[in-house]
Amino acid sequence: MSYFEPFIIPFSVGVVILFAVMWTKFISWISALPKSDKKLIIRNAVSKATFAALWEVFSECLLHRRISRVNPRLWYMHMSLAFGWFLLIVAGKIEGTLYLKSPVNPPYVDVFFRKYFPEAHIPFMGFIMDLLLLFILSGLFMAVLKRFKPSVYGMKKTTKHTAGDRIALSSLWAIFPLRLTAESFNSALYDSGSFLTGTIGNLFAFLFPEHVLQILNETSWWLYSTALGTFFVAIPLSRYLHIFAEIPLIFLRSFKIRAAAVPTTFTNLEIAACSRCGICIDPCQLGRNDIANDIQSVYSLRNIREKCNTVENSDNCLMCGRCENICPVGIELNTIRISQRYKFRKNDNPYNYRYIGNRDFSQGEGKTGYFAGCMTMLSPKIIQAMEKIFRQSGEEVWFADKDGGVCCGRPQKLAGNIDAANRMMELNKSLFIKHGITTLVTSCPICLKVFKEDYKLENIRVIHHTQYIHELVQKGVLKLKKDNRKIFTYHDPCELGRGSRIYEQPRAVLSLAGTLVEIDETRENSLCCGGSLANTRLSFENKNLISKTLTDRFEATGAQYLVTSCPLCKKTLSRTSNIPVIDIAEAVS
Amino acid sequence: MGKRVIIVGGGVAGMQAAITLKKTGCSPLLIEKNIALGGKLNNWDRLFPSQTSANEIINGLTDEIASLNIKNILCGEVSEMRHDEDKIEVNLTDGNTYEADAIIIATGFDLFNATQKEEYGYGVYNNVITSADLEEMFRQGEVKTSTGVPPSSVAFLHCVGSRDLQVGQGHCSRVCCITGVKQAIEIRQALPECQVYNFYMDMRMFGPGYEELYKEAQEKWKINFIRGRISEASQTIDNRIRIKAEDTLAGRPLKLTVDMLVLLIGKKAAACNRKLAADLGLSLRESGFYAPKDNFTDNVCTCKENVFIAGTALAPKTIGEAMNDGTAAAIKAYEYLNRFENGK
Amino acid sequence: MANNWGFGINEKRSIDLDTNNFDIVRKILEAEPSFYRCISCGSCTATCSAGNITNFNFRKVHHLLRRGEYQTLSGEISKCMLCGKCSLVCPRGINTRNIILNINRLITRQNLR
Repeated sequence: MSYFEPFIIPFSVGVVILFAVMWTKFISWISALPKSDKKLIIRNAVSKATFAALWEVFSECLLHRRISRVNPRLWYMHMSLAFGWFLLIVAGKIEGTLYLKSPVNPPYVDVFFRKYFPEAHIPFMGFIMDLLLLFILSGLFMAVLKRFKPSVYGMKKTTKHTAGDRIALSSLWAIFPLRLTAESFNSALYDSGSFLTGTIGNLFAFLFPEHVLQILNETSWWLYSTALGTFFVAIPLSRYLHIFAEIPLIFLRSFKIRAAAVPTTFTNLEIAACSRCGICIDPCQLGRNDIANDIQSVYSLRNIREKCNTVENSDNCLMCGRCENICPVGIELNTIRISQRYKFRKNDNPYNYRYIGNRDFSQGEGKTGYFAGCMTMLSPKIIQAMEKIFRQSGEEVWFADKDGGVCCGRPQKLAGNIDAANRMMELNKSLFIKHGITTLVTSCPICLKVFKEDYKLENIRVIHHTQYIHELVQKGVLKLKKDNRKIFTYHDPCELGRGSRIYEQPRAVLSLAGTLVEIDETRENSLCCGGSLANTRLSFENKNLISKTLTDRFEATGAQYLVTSCPLCKKTLSRTSNIPVIDIAEAVS
Repeated sequence: MGKRVIIVGGGVAGMQAAITLKKTGCSPLLIEKNIALGGKLNNWDRLFPSQTSANEIINGLTDEIASLNIKNILCGEVSEMRHDEDKIEVNLTDGNTYEADAIIIATGFDLFNATQKEEYGYGVYNNVITSADLEEMFRQGEVKTSTGVPPSSVAFLHCVGSRDLQVGQGHCSRVCCITGVKQAIEIRQALPECQVYNFYMDMRMFGPGYEELYKEAQEKWKINFIRGRISEASQTIDNRIRIKAEDTLAGRPLKLTVDMLVLLIGKKAAACNRKLAADLGLSLRESGFYAPKDNFTDNVCTCKENVFIAGTALAPKTIGEAMNDGTAAAIKAYEYLNRFENGK
Repeated sequence: MANNWGFGINEKRSIDLDTNNFDIVRKILEAEPSFYRCISCGSCTATCSAGNITNFNFRKVHHLLRRGEYQTLSGEISKCMLCGKCSLVCPRGINTRNIILNINRLITRQNLR
């Protein structure tokens, strides 16, 4: 039996277009992945990773558990729509299967079950269907509320949408009220509803004569089908592609595939998985300080999808990682931004570092190497403190860049000049290997990040001086005298904190040297000083503006010293701070 | 008793204002926060361009203040001011309150704190000193490095804490250029064997005799003027100072090792300006110095007709300019206090 | 080429402001207006990590660019490591790195050498 009725045409056309377009996209992206990524898929497909991914698909795509940690109200909204709709589809399928005694029916029969079989009274199912519809409608109500009053959700701003998104959004909003109306009219005619649709149906039956009800019933099913169809067609063109894109993303990610600075098609999948929920908007300090309101990750990813991203927009980002840290989909926002910059810059005038040759500015000898970093050169107090600490450690230290050196390559990488960055990395790496060091200490978190992630220094342990100091203190080599009258507050540098997950060591060290008082946004939620090398567009004045908002808060703690562990943060915060800004090495030496 | 005028700040501008007012028949009260009158001039040895002794100027002024019997309070720090239409109340931290019909603010400037330019190593390397430290050496009569020997080479760096947005000092401090020339000459006079280098961005020789002194520094004292701003200094094993700069005229980076680096520190708006300006309802420039009512005709007056400003509270100035300001503010105050007698 | 940039024997002797083309520099100044503020103090060049090793001179790059002298720029600017030290010492708070990136973008596009 085909069960064909004209009103299912919009729905069916929508489903066909949706799946055709979506599968074409996904299959072409996955098949265009680099060989190394494909090997990862083959290696990990039959493993625990697949089960972990299955569970994650359930908990994220349907339950949206990560949002619940960020914003419970927002979580309910997303969860009730996603999980509620899913359950509604499942329940519809069960109804169809039970009634027709066959699990294989055309999808429209399950979706429009009541229209087809108003006489079917399967125990509890009517009640369950109404309950689920109510559940979804409550989420819908919250979604409408969010659009007009984001403050209810503790959000200052919500996403500004494109035309495609608005069409999709409108049709999505129309779907469930239309289903309610259609089922209620159906119930008015055939008494097919439960507590919700049944009650409204009785009201309709009271209000309208039967021949009017007939017309209204037919019309509302048509409208319901049209809303569904419109939404399905709009999915691949809008942010709602995320509903489906997140599924392959979760699988590939659990197979250990990651986005890369030189973008692969995995990046396309990550971009498609952005739901434009707007959670990334409020944490952005450029938005908070009203410096830029169109560069946040949600807009940046949207621009990329719509192929209207600009180099200016892509460059105007601190890459502090606050958005990446909070993104409920787990999109690698910083890497995607680097890869965008790479695309914009790959045809620029190429950098040429041939002049560097085999130059070696290093001094001393030892298994422990010290790479101060370019910025540290402008902070002699850090260098002096580190030299003192090294003397106390009793270790022989090889100084990699005492008389200047080659930049670590991170700034070029952040700007998207990947080839240039790689060349610098090779130069430094060969230097480290030549001198046979086993530990590399750096004073700059920017260098640390690139040494750890990109240098692939196999037999060299890379640590920041914060970790080095902490270890010396733990071993009892460096003895700190606690002076409770010394009040410190601590600023987490982005590249050390969110970038390298080093939060405890500096706090442990400072607590042993004095009293530590903190502001409310620290660790994973710490703020960027404004000086970030990643933003090449931000003006000096705006850097100071951001810095000032931080130093005001640090000063309000009553601390005597603002301690940090990055020479760039130190410089940037010094410009606006009324209390001395010192490095952790200075605080303990 | 004449009209009461309080002068806050007993530097050269304040002293000169007090003297002028007294001579007009007003009764000035000079409030100075330090133990002696004279302000920052007390820490200076000789003055450009004539090498006049700073003491000579201070003694002249203090003698006149004494002989005119001008009341003054030393160690008096202002805690609060209250401004009324025709009366001003000044509270001191010791609890005393003074009342006046007009007030002259002559609170001067703060010296730029050179530790803010960490890359120059002040407070880190022993042989990096400021122009104020060098004046103290001149006053002690001996220029020595940290190891107690006379330096055989000295570099001066102009514009430290001036014309530098990195430390929030966008303005030109005006007097450092000529101070650099003066001190360079003094080093050569004291230590004829010593090589002297002045690193500058622009040489602003605006005053009478300044350009002539600059020429003398080149020709007679053979000082090396290098156009380029030092970016950073480091210390060698033997406590000497390694300087990195660009010789911008040669268009090449330059390295130099000297026994001593002198930072010609600029003038910073006094920290107290913000509070006093708020108390009195005055406005400040972006640089933090007081903004006068008008840059030309009322340049020692403010929007409050009984409040006047003199000297470096307004902007970086030379000693002579500050003294002129003192006279001008005193006359303006006198005119205001006698506005009814003059038939206004 | 990199070692004797400036004025070679066969190059023109003077900077001809009447005929030089200012399109590129105008675009760069538009992208980074803080570039206007330079007073040629040379701090950037003094502190430069690349200038420590080679004769890269950002102040001179700025100067030639402002005069519309683009001939040697692409070779010069390609030496920059983008480390950002210059932006920390610049007394005028110039966003040097944005200028470097823009020069590298524009001189290639215009195919000027």
